[in-house]
Amino acid sequence: MGVISAIGNNVRENYGALVAGRTGISRITHIDTVHKNDIMVGEIPTDNAKLEEQLGLPRDSWSRTALLGAIAAQEAVHQAGISDINDARTGLISGTTVGGMDKSEQYFYDYFENDRAWHHINGLHAGDSTRKIASKLGLEESFATTISTACSSAANAIMLGARMIKSGQLDRVVVGGTDSLSKFTINGFKTLMILSDTYNTPFDDKRKGLNLGEAAAYLVLESPALVEKENRTVLGYIKGFGNANDAFHQTASSDNGDGAVLAMEKALKIAGLTPDKVDYINAHGTATPNNDLSEGRAMLRIFDKKVPEFSSTKAYTGHTLAVAGAIEAIYSVLALQNNVVYPNLNFKNPMQEFELLPQTELVRKELNVVLSNSFGFGGNCTTLLFSKEV
Amino acid sequence: MNKEYRIQRYGHIRQGRISLNGIPRFESNETDFSIFIKSAYKNFDTQYPKFFKMDSLSKLALIASDVLLENENEKNIALALSNRAASLDTDRRHQKTIQDIENPFASPAVFVYTLPNICLGEISIRHRLFSENSFFIFDRFNADSLFEYANSLLANQKSEKVICGWMEFDQGKYDAFLYVVAKNGIFAHSIEEINRLYLTP
Repeated sequence: MGVISAIGNNVRENYGALVAGRTGISRITHIDTVHKNDIMVGEIPTDNAKLEEQLGLPRDSWSRTALLGAIAAQEAVHQAGISDINDARTGLISGTTVGGMDKSEQYFYDYFENDRAWHHINGLHAGDSTRKIASKLGLEESFATTISTACSSAANAIMLGARMIKSGQLDRVVVGGTDSLSKFTINGFKTLMILSDTYNTPFDDKRKGLNLGEAAAYLVLESPALVEKENRTVLGYIKGFGNANDAFHQTASSDNGDGAVLAMEKALKIAGLTPDKVDYINAHGTATPNNDLSEGRAMLRIFDKKVPEFSSTKAYTGHTLAVAGAIEAIYSVLALQNNVVYPNLNFKNPMQEFELLPQTELVRKELNVVLSNSFGFGGNCTTLLFSKEV
Repeated sequence: MNKEYRIQRYGHIRQGRISLNGIPRFESNETDFSIFIKSAYKNFDTQYPKFFKMDSLSKLALIASDVLLENENEKNIALALSNRAASLDTDRRHQKTIQDIENPFASPAVFVYTLPNICLGEISIRHRLFSENSFFIFDRFNADSLFEYANSLLANQKSEKVICGWMEFDQGKYDAFLYVVAKNGIFAHSIEEINRLYLTP
């Protein structure tokens, strides 16, 4: 597993911040936006120059999306103990929403004037970061694709990767996502009026909206045969996955969370588990009025009012959009490994619509199954189930 | 994968022509996409006012899915679409609005379409599909991946049918190709056949 986010440059630092209850939300510093005093973000402190140095790249050659992705993917492959990535059929499935938009907006007017930043035009599309990460990992003639389903992109990348291993098309697959902050995203979410002007407060009655975040996160999935052959230490298992469409609105969830209910039902069915086997829910919990109400109602429907301990980690990282499903998959696996439920930061006021209280303190308890939700614009709802044992 | 699936029907929207199973359903000499797709909307008596709020990619997807699903009763249909340009056409519009020095305000109506999978949401809302859906970005039409994905969905009983295809719109150029994979159908479900149907509007 590999991750870079507002709360750390690697898995160890991310876990440290999670258990210490240390948020990564701050004012924005890397982007000069007119909204800088109105919004808070989950920004990665490291600037592009440092990231380029770390990757041994020339200045201003890649978009931040690709830089972050390469850093996290390299950590994941390194941590998995892979010496030769081409020694088995290895794929890369990466989610992104923003692509190279950070560079497009920086050089938008220059494109007409000179060719200095011409290479960033080709870096705009969503597949660019995937291609660059694949080359950085040394993948040759591999299955590499990009999924763009908004905030469920990385969760869908994980689901597709798991399926391709299950159906025998790949032995190993690097799955996850990468998104950097950009004016494009900030201005878009600002017009939807779902950005909070202060720290986001998931599942709180007085929640004001989300904080955007940037991150990259990747996991290495391997087939049982490869795990056995290489004698790997398994960090966790993908037990179930489900995707459904809410079929309600482009950017809002249905009142009763129909899509979320269907996704959770499908994941549980594939896992062959009843809801009572779920020990912890890492909720989507974006802290928008719409999401938390819809997701809360969906959880009540699935768990028949006996909802297990749940929390949203968006108050730590901000909403990392395409990456949310992967970063939270890593947090879910870390929860399983360390038997810990992370606190839902900034929660004060129970919601009026139902009696649901997120976990607000760090809890240490035996965890066997963790459920993670990721819901995206377009009604795209995905649930992943992770387990300690096969 | 032991089970053999079939392609039930396929549709194209390409160069002013809308066809189902190779038979023209609507033709126009209009070269401007927005005028063309509006005349198609009128021709089919679509009666779906939300259409006019959509971006070009979603308009293309909506009309394509309407033609394809005209006589379809099954609701458990998954969606697996793909393209090359993602939502770049609308992304550029959004980018221009936020870089307009005189009036640097984004429009919610534009921003909501700055993701390729929104067109899947629009199809799902229109046809009440609560099924699995994914949108992939490929360099070119990729029958191999769509073939495997549809097989996997059907073999794992994730849905009764799958709509697969290519939904490309960028700078006025468009190319829509959809096909339905199911247990029965008149066309073989194979990579060769998918490529053949893609090339025969």
